Amino acid sequence: MLWLSKAAAKRRKGFFVFSLAFAFILTTLALAPSVMPGTLPFLKPLTIDTDPENMLPADATVRVRNGELKTVFDIYDFVVVGVLNETHPQGVFNAKDLANVKTLTDYAKTLSYEQRAGTFANVIASDIIAPSTVDNIETESLGAVSFTWLMKTAPSTDQEAALIRDRMLKIPMYKGTMISDDGAALALYYPLSEKSISHAVAQDLQELIDTFENTGAVYHITGLPVAEDRFGSEMFFQMAVSAPLAMLFVFGLLWLFFGHVRIILISLLAAMASVICTMALLVLSGQTIHIMSSMIPIFIIPIAVLDDIHILSDFYDKYTPERDRLEIVNEVMADLWRPMWYTTLTTAVGFASLMLTPIPPVQVFGLFVAIGVFVAWFFTVTLLPAYFMSLPDKALADFGALQKSERAIRDQSWLGRFLRTAGPFAGHRAKSIIVLSLALVVWAGIGIVNISVNDNPIKWFETSDQIRVADRIINEEFAGSYMAYLHLSSDSAVNDEPFKAPETLRYIAKMSADLEAESNVIGKVSGLDDIVSTVYRELYNDPTAYRIPDTRPAIAQTLLMYENSHRPDDIWTFVTPDFQDAVLWFQLKSGDNTDMAQVEKLVGDYLNRNPPPRTLASEWFGLTYINLVWQDEMVTGMLKAFLGSFIVVLILTSLLFRSLSWGIMAMIPLALTVATIYGAVGWAGMDYDMPTAVLSSLSLGLAVDYAIHFLARTREIFRRQQAWEPTLREMFEEPSRAISRNVIVVGVGFLPLLAANLVPYQTVGILISSILILAGAASLILLPALISVFQKPLFHRERITE
Amino acid sequence: MNKAALVFLIIVSAFGPPAHAQSTDANDIARQAEKTAFYQGEDGRARVSMQIIDKQGRTRSRDITILRKDEINDNSESGDQRFFVYFRAPSDVRDTVFLVWKHPQADDDRWLYLPALDLVRRIAAGDERSSFVGSDFFYEDVSGRSAEEDTHVVQDTTETYYILKSTPKDPNRVEFAYYISYIHKESFLPVQVEYYQSDHSKYREYTAEAVETIQGFPTVTRATMKDLADGGRTTLTYSDIQYDIDLSDDIFTERYLRNPPRQFFGEN
Repeated sequence: MLWLSKAAAKRRKGFFVFSLAFAFILTTLALAPSVMPGTLPFLKPLTIDTDPENMLPADATVRVRNGELKTVFDIYDFVVVGVLNETHPQGVFNAKDLANVKTLTDYAKTLSYEQRAGTFANVIASDIIAPSTVDNIETESLGAVSFTWLMKTAPSTDQEAALIRDRMLKIPMYKGTMISDDGAALALYYPLSEKSISHAVAQDLQELIDTFENTGAVYHITGLPVAEDRFGSEMFFQMAVSAPLAMLFVFGLLWLFFGHVRIILISLLAAMASVICTMALLVLSGQTIHIMSSMIPIFIIPIAVLDDIHILSDFYDKYTPERDRLEIVNEVMADLWRPMWYTTLTTAVGFASLMLTPIPPVQVFGLFVAIGVFVAWFFTVTLLPAYFMSLPDKALADFGALQKSERAIRDQSWLGRFLRTAGPFAGHRAKSIIVLSLALVVWAGIGIVNISVNDNPIKWFETSDQIRVADRIINEEFAGSYMAYLHLSSDSAVNDEPFKAPETLRYIAKMSADLEAESNVIGKVSGLDDIVSTVYRELYNDPTAYRIPDTRPAIAQTLLMYENSHRPDDIWTFVTPDFQDAVLWFQLKSGDNTDMAQVEKLVGDYLNRNPPPRTLASEWFGLTYINLVWQDEMVTGMLKAFLGSFIVVLILTSLLFRSLSWGIMAMIPLALTVATIYGAVGWAGMDYDMPTAVLSSLSLGLAVDYAIHFLARTREIFRRQQAWEPTLREMFEEPSRAISRNVIVVGVGFLPLLAANLVPYQTVGILISSILILAGAASLILLPALISVFQKPLFHRERITE
Repeated sequence: MNKAALVFLIIVSAFGPPAHAQSTDANDIARQAEKTAFYQGEDGRARVSMQIIDKQGRTRSRDITILRKDEINDNSESGDQRFFVYFRAPSDVRDTVFLVWKHPQADDDRWLYLPALDLVRRIAAGDERSSFVGSDFFYEDVSGRSAEEDTHVVQDTTETYYILKSTPKDPNRVEFAYYISYIHKESFLPVQVEYYQSDHSKYREYTAEAVETIQGFPTVTRATMKDLADGGRTTLTYSDIQYDIDLSDDIFTERYLRNPPRQFFGEN
């Protein structure tokens, strides 16, 4: 491949024009459908996808079932608005706040958004759960059951408001769901025909809320769809801010090391070109921008800069105006092209391995980072030599170690001096270093065992974010804003309406009560039994009659009574009209996968311990459950992907070094880095979520990079020196300086991500930095130690035998 | 002078100017339509098959018999009516009775007799626009909305129809902003009624799908109510219709709830 760099150095103009044209054409094609829709009908416009459901392929069983069952039971995802008023003695149950709540609900009913040409997504007015949209069920006078709108018009006095509160508290379906148990707060549920409009709905509601007179009431808007949808909007912003910020930081650090703005400018441009081309290709391929793919630039930047630094470093050390520049450039490229090509391969393999996971967004991410790695490699090995050749002599005046330290032939920077002094130490204290590393592995092992696999889209926001605050408050005051649905069905072929049978409904009622008592996560379980018991109680006007009637006809007739209300169809959100299938609505106080997993187990155990009166098949659905499923698939998928790529990279390094033992050596810093990082994640109690999981591939790519450069140079030097001690000393000159500069530039360069207000970006920022620093340290400390212990067998091919 | 003619004269005098078939006064048309749709004969019976079909196409069926009797007080018809709605099927609600005393000028009285619990309970709904036994018809669609509750305007007159726009006098008691009815010029039967929200979106639609003349009375024998918002619909198919069967007042009392007057239910 060296010919490519040589050609670029010679025909620099052609390469500049080609690169520029390539990046420009790709970008234009990618942006055209979004900027000027319709001009290129075969291209899809850029689309953002924030739906965690898409972590699973559209035809994944759990998603297909979720869609089917949501249709069967007429269930929608919803936006939840919690209303609290701590300044009023009656909480929100005062005339003013209830009037506002009514206004808000009336407004919500009208919300509709055009999705695609001609199709609309809207708030499902008839299924809204709010005081003005539901019935009060009560005994009006002796012998009369009343189904009146709970709040047809806003109350004119606080006493009337208190009356509404008292009525709501009496109805089990509303208590804990719509009204807080203490009767002070309200939760409104606005179902959406498509959850993609939730952010727009939340914004429109907020806009109206902002116009309300200040009554002391606070409105909290939350719900899983809102979090997911808002994440998408934020993501776009982060992509536009964080990535360029990281780039600027890297630029600043390069400037610090190499001094010359004009020279390092090219590496910035090359990295930018790589990112732009990769993203353009991603859009052109018709893929959507998902949370994972939005991170592609952040992953490509360090990889692109990595090779640049090796070239800059070598050029910096070799440059002198006395020699022919083309000769220097060719020499630098000759030094580096092999390790660069191999590190490109290994990095690409590391990311491409993500295609082994069963999660489409992760597959796309892996594929396009791998492509980006090659693009970055191409721009680096062509644009850098071409650029060096086109610089005028005076731009390079005072550039390079040789010119800076005329007295000595050696680099006199603080980094150079530090490495020179501290470096050989690694070779001399080999045994203690190896023992310490082994101890580190043990420590990491314990951490990894304790790692908790967990994700929760709400937690993608910082704890102080209004979504997190709303989520916390709503889940403190109410039964829970996270919905999971348990579908129960009779497998009997004959339709005998099992869910009209008293014994089945009683079983469900008892199970709901038992589960609510047993688990802190389960806030409330609602089912058909709640409607039946409530109506039955009102038929007798007797609190002790809150139970399931004794016969099927009695249940059917109780339901017939309820069917004369304003919302008879609420029945069919709990049971199918043939009474063969039923669903229990679980309101969970947490959307953590670990909590959902715990609930799933608890319910499974319950069904086994207390067999239902007739065999019932059970099955979970709902967003909270889907999140759990893809998490599980991700963990096993990632492990498979990591092991697979580990083996491929080992084969590649063994081929590169034409030696299995050197190949294994190259993998050691990587293994140590990955173990330590995940050990630390385990010890710190951080959740192993998707961004964390994907980082294992980045370590695979970067950690092995350092090791390959280090080992390749070590063998080269040994071949010249024929002794370990001088080799070690020389290694801690230019080669280790290049690695250290890399570690510092890229590692520190990613710290600006910590300023992002989305947690996954922060996680990625801190973990990239840690991975780079650790991998660098492992390469610079552990590798010399290992080589000095095993130098005899390792160098047998380099040694010139007498 | 026969009884029917007497009733006709009384109605005419009770409701003001004679309602000629050619009248174009909106209120007269509305009154005439109400009368044709809900007050034919002095009493009557129909067997109704109710098909409630949700947007997924799932069907629930109910088989009921409706007895109706108009009340005449002090020689002038008050518009009050009584209904005895008897459930034949499905079996688990068989013998359930829905009893109505309709008062056009006041809240109707509605009772439900639940045989499995041997319980009679009045249903108080605050308004008359709650569901009629779980169907897409509101209670008021079945019992009849009084023409006096709305103000009517003739929007258009075609060859066959008067097209009326009706706006509620008390918007707080209804969920619609207005409705448009297509009233057949000859028979005065409302053939289609469309309900609109304040943003002029149509969300409910009633269609009379079959009309027969029975004992000289134009009678709807199949009607469908569509809930355009949730995609469901309910079809009522009437059979075994008979007018003027001499129902006595005491049938419409609690005593008969437990012992339905089967002799008036017709065939089967």
